[in-house]
Amino acid sequence: MKKYDVIIVGAGIAGLTAAIYVSRAGKSVLVLESTMQGGQIINTINIENWPGDFKVSGAELSQKIYKQAEGLGAEIDFDNVEKIEKITEGFRVVAEDDEYIAGAIILAVGADPRKLSEKQTQDAGKRPISYCATCDGALYKGKPVVVVGSGNTAKHEMEYLQNIASKVYHIHHDDPIPEDAEAVFVAIGRVPATGNFADLVDLDERGYVVAGEDCKTSTPGVFVAGDCRTKEIRQLVTAAADGAVAATEACRYLG
Amino acid sequence: MELIDFYADWCGPCQMMKPVVEEFEKAHPEITVKSINIDDEEELAEKYGVSSIPCFVVLKDGEEVAREVGAMPLKKLEKLVGVKRG
Repeated sequence: MKKYDVIIVGAGIAGLTAAIYVSRAGKSVLVLESTMQGGQIINTINIENWPGDFKVSGAELSQKIYKQAEGLGAEIDFDNVEKIEKITEGFRVVAEDDEYIAGAIILAVGADPRKLSEKQTQDAGKRPISYCATCDGALYKGKPVVVVGSGNTAKHEMEYLQNIASKVYHIHHDDPIPEDAEAVFVAIGRVPATGNFADLVDLDERGYVVAGEDCKTSTPGVFVAGDCRTKEIRQLVTAAADGAVAATEACRYLG
Repeated sequence: MELIDFYADWCGPCQMMKPVVEEFEKAHPEITVKSINIDDEEELAEKYGVSSIPCFVVLKDGEEVAREVGAMPLKKLEKLVGVKRG
């Protein structure tokens, strides 16, 4: 079984930044990503609040950080982590394709869009359901669409779609879906992707990994970074900051 | 075998897939890869019922045999098409 000093779960901004710090500390590190590097930010076209890069796209930014981590010696592989267990040598990481051993763990699994309720999904019938207006909006040029949600994201999705669709309905998470809407755009918040780690660390009632600014979880040797941690502000820079803190604490733990 | 990659320039996950698709083409010259910009070829996107991008459609003898939506690593794209490296 392959052994690493640190295994990072998730190659979003938090996970990749942690990989940079662990590599620079001279430890071996593997980042395991279940879908695609970059995380949520790859859906954003124009980022204006990442210092040093004005109007960079999420795709470009995440590619740059990915290459930086790789260039510093981090290994990055695509495998879905299903379970992590405490063993005498550290932690056994069970993924879909392989198993690994690590001295310390950093959970940087991020958050996924909250799915449309069953009632509204039924209501939508065969109509496409999208969680990303900037990805799919243009497929509904001149057609009526609906946005579900009441937060800031929903507002942004509406503004974006107003320039494309013939009509943009706005409904809340328990309203009926308008009959003539040809696609349903959903922005009803996010849920942390921590389901596989409920036995490993303490989660709060909403599923976030409980940890303070030191990124230490309830389990010694397991650290958490980014949007899946209990915290007030979830931004690119705070995800990156968490990555640095979690990596430093993980290296300190290993000694 | 044929792989159709429906994309658009303004789509972030599609940008992420660009290098992956290029790598796929290099590794599997036996598979015909067609990248379709849905803004230029609306009719084709409609014909294949593309409702979300990036969308990958695998054709065998012109018939659709597999489909997947969203960005994915090379490993998964190869699995979708049913080919292995090396």
